Amino acid sequence: MNNGTKIVTIPESATIEEIKDEIRDVKTFYMSLDNKKIDKSFKIKSGQFIMCTVFGAGEFAVSLPPSPENDRFHLTVRKVGSVTNALHELQAGDKVGIRGPFGNGFPFEEIKGKNIVYVAGGIGLIPLRSSIVHVLQHKKDFGRVIVLHGARTPDDLMYKENLKEWQAFPGFETYITVDVGTPGWTGEVGFVHTLFDKVNLPIENTVAFVCGPPVMFNTVIAELMKRGLRDDCIISTLERHMKCGVGKCQHCAIGRTLVCTDGPVYTYRQIKTLGEQI
Amino acid sequence: MKQKPGVCTFCGTGCGHFMMANGGAVERVFPSQNHPVSKGRLCVRGWNIHELLNTAQTIPSPLIKQNGQCTQASYDEAVTHVAGKLKSFPPSAIGFLASPRATNEEQFLLMKLARAVFKTNTISLASESGHRNSLNVLHAATGMAGMSGSLEEISKAEFLLVLGSDITKQNPIIGSEIHKAAQAGAKIVTIDSRRTQIAKLSSRFLHITPGSLKLAVAAIARSVFREGLIDADFVRSSTKGFEQFSASLASLSDEAITKGTGIVIKEFQQVAETLKKAKTAMAFFSSGISGLDEDTIGYIFNLFAMSGKIGREGCGVNPVAGLNNLQGGYDMGCAPDLLTGFQRLSDPEAVKKFSSAWGVELNTTPGSSVYDLLASEPSKLRALVVVDHDEGIIRSAEAIQKLDFVAYIGSYTNRFMDYAQVVLPMARYIEEDGTFTNTDRRVQLSKKKLEAKSGILPGWKLLARIAQQAGAAWNYAGPAEVMDEIARLTPAYANISHKILAGAFGGIQWPCNEKNPQGTPHFDLKKAGVTINFAPVSGVFDLPASGADFPYLLMIGKAQDFWHQNNLMKKTFIPLREYNATLLDYPEGYVEIAPETAKALQVRNQWQVKVVSPYGELPLAVKISEDVKPNAAYAPYFAKDKIIKRLIGHSEPLNKGEDATVPIRIEKV
Amino acid sequence: MYLIRKDDILTIAKALSSDYQIYGPAVEPLSGQTFFDPVTDLGEINLAAPIPAAPPKSVVFPQTERILSYRYAGGSAPVEIKPDYKEQPKALFGLRSCDLTGIQCLDRFFLGQEFVDEVYRYHRKKMFMVTNTCVKPFTYCFCVCTDSGPAAEEGYDLNLTDIGDYYLVESGSAKGKDLCEKLKLEKAAEKHRAEKNSRIDKSISQFEALSTESKAWVSRVMNRVTTGFAKEAVWEYVGDQCLECGACSFVCPSCSCFNIADSCTASGSCDRLRTWDSCSYEGYSRMAGGHNPRKPVEDRRNKRFFCKLSYSQSKKYLRPGCVGCGRCNWVCPGDIGLPNVAKYIRRETTSREQL
Repeated sequence: MNNGTKIVTIPESATIEEIKDEIRDVKTFYMSLDNKKIDKSFKIKSGQFIMCTVFGAGEFAVSLPPSPENDRFHLTVRKVGSVTNALHELQAGDKVGIRGPFGNGFPFEEIKGKNIVYVAGGIGLIPLRSSIVHVLQHKKDFGRVIVLHGARTPDDLMYKENLKEWQAFPGFETYITVDVGTPGWTGEVGFVHTLFDKVNLPIENTVAFVCGPPVMFNTVIAELMKRGLRDDCIISTLERHMKCGVGKCQHCAIGRTLVCTDGPVYTYRQIKTLGEQI
Repeated sequence: MKQKPGVCTFCGTGCGHFMMANGGAVERVFPSQNHPVSKGRLCVRGWNIHELLNTAQTIPSPLIKQNGQCTQASYDEAVTHVAGKLKSFPPSAIGFLASPRATNEEQFLLMKLARAVFKTNTISLASESGHRNSLNVLHAATGMAGMSGSLEEISKAEFLLVLGSDITKQNPIIGSEIHKAAQAGAKIVTIDSRRTQIAKLSSRFLHITPGSLKLAVAAIARSVFREGLIDADFVRSSTKGFEQFSASLASLSDEAITKGTGIVIKEFQQVAETLKKAKTAMAFFSSGISGLDEDTIGYIFNLFAMSGKIGREGCGVNPVAGLNNLQGGYDMGCAPDLLTGFQRLSDPEAVKKFSSAWGVELNTTPGSSVYDLLASEPSKLRALVVVDHDEGIIRSAEAIQKLDFVAYIGSYTNRFMDYAQVVLPMARYIEEDGTFTNTDRRVQLSKKKLEAKSGILPGWKLLARIAQQAGAAWNYAGPAEVMDEIARLTPAYANISHKILAGAFGGIQWPCNEKNPQGTPHFDLKKAGVTINFAPVSGVFDLPASGADFPYLLMIGKAQDFWHQNNLMKKTFIPLREYNATLLDYPEGYVEIAPETAKALQVRNQWQVKVVSPYGELPLAVKISEDVKPNAAYAPYFAKDKIIKRLIGHSEPLNKGEDATVPIRIEKV
Repeated sequence: MYLIRKDDILTIAKALSSDYQIYGPAVEPLSGQTFFDPVTDLGEINLAAPIPAAPPKSVVFPQTERILSYRYAGGSAPVEIKPDYKEQPKALFGLRSCDLTGIQCLDRFFLGQEFVDEVYRYHRKKMFMVTNTCVKPFTYCFCVCTDSGPAAEEGYDLNLTDIGDYYLVESGSAKGKDLCEKLKLEKAAEKHRAEKNSRIDKSISQFEALSTESKAWVSRVMNRVTTGFAKEAVWEYVGDQCLECGACSFVCPSCSCFNIADSCTASGSCDRLRTWDSCSYEGYSRMAGGHNPRKPVEDRRNKRFFCKLSYSQSKKYLRPGCVGCGRCNWVCPGDIGLPNVAKYIRRETTSREQL
């Protein structure tokens, strides 16, 4: 379980180096841990999350980017509550606190050789992105790779640069759709699951990663299963209100499980038996 | 024993708790299992009171504003400044706003400061007139200016009538006690325009049209009269004035009642029958921030009087105060025309007693309500002393800014401080001994549990200093001596002292005097030896009218999610999270409509709509709920200032009772 | 196994007091309420007092405490973070078996699972536990339904049982044995153990008559709970009565949910506070942005019940979370303490008229 340093209860300080505006209300913060020894050994698996302290405001949970060896350590955060609002007020040079990484990660070993389908609704692309990047870098280990991203409007599409990159990458089949078009939009219009037929979705030897708002999630799962995909071949990452991140405060409980320690990555088969609605 | 007994100081229930303080912070709070009112229960506020008491958002030192800048000052400097400034105004220009949260001792001394030192009778409780209406009616009817029943006797009531009060959210433990009585077999009837939690837990719920509560009560009284269900012996032997009341009932017709309330006559008849069958009964209604008007309270009282459900154990007409010391505030004379214990400025005997005790000639001309003065143009008011207050600022911010001098006294930081030239911190209630009088006249002593932060004065000491600076020779050794003076001047408090209260677990209900040495749980007719007066009622039922242009009746009511501007809640974590939930979803307020209404308008949850009244319009978000009837809508209190400005144009309807009602239409945007 | 005369029982507490802060049951004189608090005057200890109103879990899991403080002035200023772990040797003298079971649940939860909770670990170090067998049950007790009493069977350092003129003192650890030897306590014989067992039998037989408030066939309901078969309308009836006060979680010896909040002081430093929280509250599961997976109150009541009787068993405590103390029954403003909910589920009560 311990792949490198895990900072459990006391936050480690990290300095923000650069801030980039993504879509409305979403920013990416590039940072590095101040304690260089820990910084070097800080290893994360895609799918994990960390607890970020905004000094003076509080702490919140945020999903992690791919491993530092491929990219600078960064967090992409939407401002939505008091702590994330305080985060968005920070400038380069300011410090935050980091605890983690926590949670299980995406099960890459288990899915080697399979086709991968990513279905990302809105900012659900954020936690999936690290997994997509991992697969992109190890393309030969997998079969067909399909990335389907849907958002409410063209302004809400995430990671537009990456989307272009993925659309151009050989072997990656990337499709985008929006619920509601705006003047000038020439792409697909419709909910993300309407793309399934268009891309001739593989079912045999396939794993689907689904992430997005609850309403989208349930519809997409239903459509996938209708097409014959088994419930243990559908993987998602769940989100919950978190306070401690280490399985003690229990705010993230869903039935039998604690999302921060058993998850946040679950198969749909597991989700069905949790004992509570997600 | 490190746990010390104490009293919760959020709402008017006055639950008992135990507190453990350690090194300047409150470590623990726990309910008092055997407390006569709370019986081991607390609500979300009471369980988390330690969060409020441990907050850093307290006023750290006296402040004096000079040239727009606030500078720290010593108490001497600040007190000198305040006394000097106040002395420079004629008494008729000075007003005092007393806090319904402060202790009895602090309220008494503030009242004495206003009357004996600065010679002004313009002193109001920083809360609306609702509770005064209840006290006026009950005093005229029974001679007792307070709840006629006792919360401890709820379990002895066979019939409980809850009138327009979301009681499980406002005073949860009273709501709990009512619920438990029902689980044990009592009948609860709730009459309200919204389906509240207590409505769901009732044996019968009359879902009336907004604005028709008085008519509904009158309808029950009429059924009691017509069906021969009155307690004739009781009315004959113990009351006066029934004829006038019964005559006013005769003029009501079945059609008018059903049209106005939306309820069929049979339902009122059944309530009347249930009331008759019950040997004991109590009525509960909100009193305070949006209490009922005197006419409505009169009808409620008369219903119980004609049914013989007043003046004995298990019975009572019970206004429920929403704040911990609202009753105490009136007991301490914080009103323009009252001395302590509802003694009047117009009573020469009372005035003589106070003048002699205080060694000053009292001004016997009643003052005005501070709010009335602030609302009048031009305002006679030029100086204002405010204790721990947050309500009034919403209504009168501009008027307050125009005053020449404002002094603010309080423990916690508060927006009102921005309007003050002098700010004087006082110690919190756990940092000094003090008493509180809850809604069932229960005087409870809270003993000191923590040392005040360095240099901060307790309220009684601070007020004494101001008095001394203004030339009055006040020499109190402590709050116990202040209570002794209150006892000497107030017949209802005559036998009350800190010493006696320290040994009285669960407090003592006034009157506590020679005639009632153990206190008075309920208004006891036999013992009081008085005749009950039926309340004079108008016989007039002004119902808000909807019509083609304005087809819905909008209730503007207390928001159970937003408690007194959330000023105290904001200083906590868990109660704030719970009280904030609705605010976060609807930051600009909402209009609650029935599913049928939403369907007809073709709107969904959280959609913006325009609410239009004969006066103006207001954008609000939609909240769909089955708790309101299709012809009604509900908007919460926290959008009050916008509602006053844009939908009504003046605050008068909001002063009229539980649900201010405005005819509106709703437009899709 | 040892004996000590009843009159001498406090010598054990006295011996412990030189190394430990003593916590014991004491009755507050004015209100008659029993507390389990730090005791300075050992004479206050009353072993015959009813189970304390507040669960002793606050000894290792305080209602509110600071777990760390930090100071950061902004920009390139350094961040100073100071953990505030509290360690104090404590002797719990006169703990009832239900409350001991509660502490065992908290031990398994805080010290086990994926991570060790450092805050709890520090509170829990150097604790000496002296349990007190319940030779008669109290009005709200039902530990016989939850396998947590009336006598402790393991996990204590010393276990006391009132057997008449003497207390039987059983040692459950090396620490306990050493203390008994140090105090030169008389050794007990088999007949004393037999006397203890007969007292326990008598205690169990008195539940029917004395524990009148918490009659609930919990074991019967466990079956329904684990198979998920409880009528939805019952949960609505339960939810209608919930005043969302949080009391049930606060008084429960095995509940351990907490909230974390950063509270900044005027001096510029911030305290990270840990306070008791409750899944009864609507805001407990509400996410920033508004989504609340457990918004209706009946969902929260359902969750709490299942968590206490089912989910906890498989992973957290390896036994049901309920220890049969009955506190949630008297503290609830509605009528929905665990025993009552069990009764409603079993009888499928959906309205007051069916009571």
